[in-house]
Amino acid sequence: MTSKDQQYDVIVIGGGHAGTEAALAAARMGAQTLLITHNIETIGQMSCNPAIGGIGKSHLVKEIDAMGGVMALAADQGGIQFRVLNSRKGPAVRATRAQSDRVLYKAAIRQQVENQVNLQIFQQAVDDLLIENDCICGVVTQSGLTFSAQSVVLTTGTFLGGKIHIGNDNYSAGRAGDPPAITLAKRLRELSLRVGRLKTGTPPRIDGRSIDYSQLEEQPGDTPTPVFSFMGSRELHPQQVSCFITYTNETTHEIIQQDLRLSPMYNGNIDSTGPRYCPSIEDKVTRFAERNQHQIFIEPEGLQTHEVYPNGISTSLPFETQQKFVRSVKGFENAHITRPGYAIEYDYFDPRDLQPSLETKAIQGLFFAGQINGTTGYEEAAAQGLVAGINAVRRTQEQDAWVPRRDQAYIGVMIDDLVTSGTIEPYRMFTSRAEFRLLLRQDNADLRLSEMANELGCLPAKQWQAFSEKREALETQQQRLKSCFVQPGEMGAEVEEKILGKKLKHEYSMYELLRRPEVDFEKLQQLSKQDFSSIPSTVKEQLEIQAKYAGYIERQNLEVEKLSHQEEVKLSPDMNYAAINGLSNEAKQKLMEIKPHTIGQAARISGITPSTISLLLVHLKSKPVQKIAS
Amino acid sequence: MPKFIPPTIVQKEPICALATPPGKGALAIVRLSGKNAYAIAKNITHESLLPRRAHYTAFYDANDGIIDQGLATYFQTPSSFTGEDVIEFHCHGNPLVAELLLKTLCCLGARLATPGEFSLRAFLNNKIDLAQAEAIADLINSTTEQAARTATRSLQGAFSERVNSVLTQLVQMRMHIEAHLDFPDEEIDRQQTTQLCKQLTLLEDFLDELLQQAKLGERLQTGATIAIAGKPNAGKSSLLNVLAQSDVAIVTEIPGTTRDPLSADIEIQGVAVRLIDTAGLRETKDIVEAKGIERAQQALAQADLILWLTDVSSDDSQAIPKEIDVNKVITVHNKIDLQEASSLNDNENIYISAKNHTGIDELIAQLALRLLGENVLSENGDTPFLARNRHVIALQNAQQHLRSAQQRLSSANELELAAEDLRIAQQNLGVITGAFTPDDLLGKIFSEFCIGK
Ligand SMILES: Nc1nc2c(ncn2[C@@H]2O[C@H](COP(=O)(O)OP(=O)(O)OP(=O)(O)O)[C@@H](O)[C@H]2O)c(=O)[nH]1
Ligand SMILES: [Mg+2]
Repeated sequence: MTSKDQQYDVIVIGGGHAGTEAALAAARMGAQTLLITHNIETIGQMSCNPAIGGIGKSHLVKEIDAMGGVMALAADQGGIQFRVLNSRKGPAVRATRAQSDRVLYKAAIRQQVENQVNLQIFQQAVDDLLIENDCICGVVTQSGLTFSAQSVVLTTGTFLGGKIHIGNDNYSAGRAGDPPAITLAKRLRELSLRVGRLKTGTPPRIDGRSIDYSQLEEQPGDTPTPVFSFMGSRELHPQQVSCFITYTNETTHEIIQQDLRLSPMYNGNIDSTGPRYCPSIEDKVTRFAERNQHQIFIEPEGLQTHEVYPNGISTSLPFETQQKFVRSVKGFENAHITRPGYAIEYDYFDPRDLQPSLETKAIQGLFFAGQINGTTGYEEAAAQGLVAGINAVRRTQEQDAWVPRRDQAYIGVMIDDLVTSGTIEPYRMFTSRAEFRLLLRQDNADLRLSEMANELGCLPAKQWQAFSEKREALETQQQRLKSCFVQPGEMGAEVEEKILGKKLKHEYSMYELLRRPEVDFEKLQQLSKQDFSSIPSTVKEQLEIQAKYAGYIERQNLEVEKLSHQEEVKLSPDMNYAAINGLSNEAKQKLMEIKPHTIGQAARISGITPSTISLLLVHLKSKPVQKIAS
Repeated sequence: MPKFIPPTIVQKEPICALATPPGKGALAIVRLSGKNAYAIAKNITHESLLPRRAHYTAFYDANDGIIDQGLATYFQTPSSFTGEDVIEFHCHGNPLVAELLLKTLCCLGARLATPGEFSLRAFLNNKIDLAQAEAIADLINSTTEQAARTATRSLQGAFSERVNSVLTQLVQMRMHIEAHLDFPDEEIDRQQTTQLCKQLTLLEDFLDELLQQAKLGERLQTGATIAIAGKPNAGKSSLLNVLAQSDVAIVTEIPGTTRDPLSADIEIQGVAVRLIDTAGLRETKDIVEAKGIERAQQALAQADLILWLTDVSSDDSQAIPKEIDVNKVITVHNKIDLQEASSLNDNENIYISAKNHTGIDELIAQLALRLLGENVLSENGDTPFLARNRHVIALQNAQQHLRSAQQRLSSANELELAAEDLRIAQQNLGVITGAFTPDDLLGKIFSEFCIGK
């Protein structure tokens, strides 16, 4: 038996992006939480490229932020170049990206973890899980120490069964430099969970002093500098630097083509699936042979290092070939590679074996979050960590799981995609995955989620107050816009003609005027005697967006309402679909495999038709006992 | 988290359907159920219906034209067949009337029910006892199968090919737009907005044509309304009697004989046609006649085709009144038996004598041409496809969203709104082909573009 000081409510294994958000969320909710990692120094480490956010991903970051998570704030503290992507397109697809100083980012996370009440850290590899009657009850570390808890969140990332390839050489490893978690991987393989294998790659890192920057395109950050967190500010940002752009050329491609057989991806040494949106340079020159150049985006690794991350040339070619092709690139003629690029294969668990809460279906109280579920990216991992952390606590309190719906958050889209459809390549977020994209904007993440976060108990009091003030201001100003009118000629007919193209014929509410594409707050101010200068800019932005999108938002809301009935009907995981009269064999098989949680989820399984859904509804109704689920 | 407790009755989106077997019974019942059913019925009847009371009332279309007269009964939730608010409209057995009524209901926010959906709702709201569950399951199964069979049959050949071709092009366009939105940093050969606009115009034209054909197909299924109009005494009622081959209408030499619109159902080349004889149009002080003329005008506004009847022996002006849509008009010159000189028919002018039955075959041929287009001339008489009203509605919705997308595209800032419109357009077309599974847009992007810097 474990001693009392080794008993916790929630244990989180792994200190990456999923692990830290999970542990922090659990602790914020008041649960006694232990974060176990094989190396405390790697807490909050960015193992791939040094950037947070981007399209689809920054939506996740803002949502984590709105739930009280730390990723956005750490990005503000570690960000050395900020840009808003799609800034000339509409608000729904705008996204923030922060190039980050690895050291500063890690320090910011470490600080949060160390100062969080209810959270303790322990350094040691976990070798085994304690399971009794299909319920988790604790973990055993490498040296045989036992810690007990009702909920365990596993976030072990690439460490599970990792195998690194550089040319024809390969060896077992975690991230470059870290040991693989082989014992735990073996143990997990014994559980009745489906395991698959994925691969991903990294580019060689380069010493910036050996790059001729004068030959490269410079890409500075945006001014004014965007801020990531709802609680963040420009004052948090460290010194800002630029990124650079260069291109491969035909010589580069020839060098790669020549040595293609030495690439493990092409000689059969790797057969697992890599991400299609992040192909290796070998893949690019083969599949898109007609292109005579490919972009390389040079990301600074930090303010205190010369190392850079040349994004776009991930490779598993032998080191000599890497050196040759890198040096054929403009500006890289004398480049010194500091770390070779490599491909890594790793285990992941089929996320269809998870409940939407991220609890495994097989073992009660065991939660999976992050790359282990087949996703890629810090943001995807952190978002899962947050959900798993919250639900790990709710499990110990015997409360229903909290899972945002697809129309509430990108987090909900991701989880539903994973548990309903699984994934065949590392799963990454894109805005096109969200059918309710116009509702799920980064600008309104707080309005969508902060109230729920507060109810769940994972939103810091300070943030709740700031949010409440913003929301109140928003409501007040919205009322004002709808009830205040601009009279024709209020500020002179010329102004009207200049802004609107013609004179106002009768009075208009300010809201009506703001809905017009050509009118923003600045223009509205010119048309009206009212004074808008005291309205905070975030509130103005929100009012503008809500006015401009109004028609589309209404329609998406109608669609949401139509589907909501389906989301409210729960399906029991014990349902015997085989016994349901009238279902096709295909439908039975798919339903048995996925065991959907709601009728809505069932309807999203590929190949499930509306008539199958009708039959399910009939069946549910005729067996009312089965209507109560988890 | 506050836990959701479903109320005993959930009023879902309004649905409507013909509750009586299709065909020409004496009476047809159209049923409407769901949220807002009461408000929709108010729009149709212009009356505030009392629960469980049969109201004799007119049924109005979206333009306040009268579709029919009949009974409307309001069953208030939960005391109704489905448990939701339900309105039953009893109208004349003519399929055209029921179709018109359904169309209007759809305009007002209801949608056509899927097979078994009323029973399903009734069941879910505890309105049908458990023993009947299996029966409903069978019903859903068999009717959907049957519907699917009919659908595939009607979708064989040209129609489905064309809808699928629009879908393919739409997906292609969406792929380009989504690539713009999700990968702005990538160096990929995205189509420029002007190119996309051009493509969209082509797609709109294509859809336009398809819609015309679908409407034609729908007409084959649901029939058409042809109104006979003209000055008093032009011979309108006489023509109705000739075409209907029975003495439906009173014929006298007194101008202003016909008051209420009168109808007769005939068939032209397989199309069910409802002929409507109307009061002669003139200024009048007679209150009853004036009311008749008002109704005549409503009937004309609704008709698919109008026969404007003139009396060749009269010297009075018989010009087509400007309220009438000339695109729907065929001018029929009557009483040629009273005239020596003969004139030649063309597409807009037909010369007949209702008295001697001369020119009637030519008139019918011209009507068939107008109703069915060139298809009527083809050897085997095969029409391109049998579209249903729901197909036409889906195509119209799709078209509306394509137009909106076009508008959004021309202003570069609204690419994401154009994307939304195209998504909905695709959803609507998917309803026709029954494609439920979402397309792998991302997969298409990755296979076409080199993504990943
Ligand atoms: N000679 C001749 N007389 C006709 C012909 N068609 C109708 N008539 C006569 O014209 C008169 C009016 O005919 P109706 O059919 O009642 O005319 P209507 O247009 O319905 O008249 P209202 O209902 O009063 O508007 C009757 O006496 C008919 O017999 C025709 O082709 N030739
Ligand atoms: Mg008459």
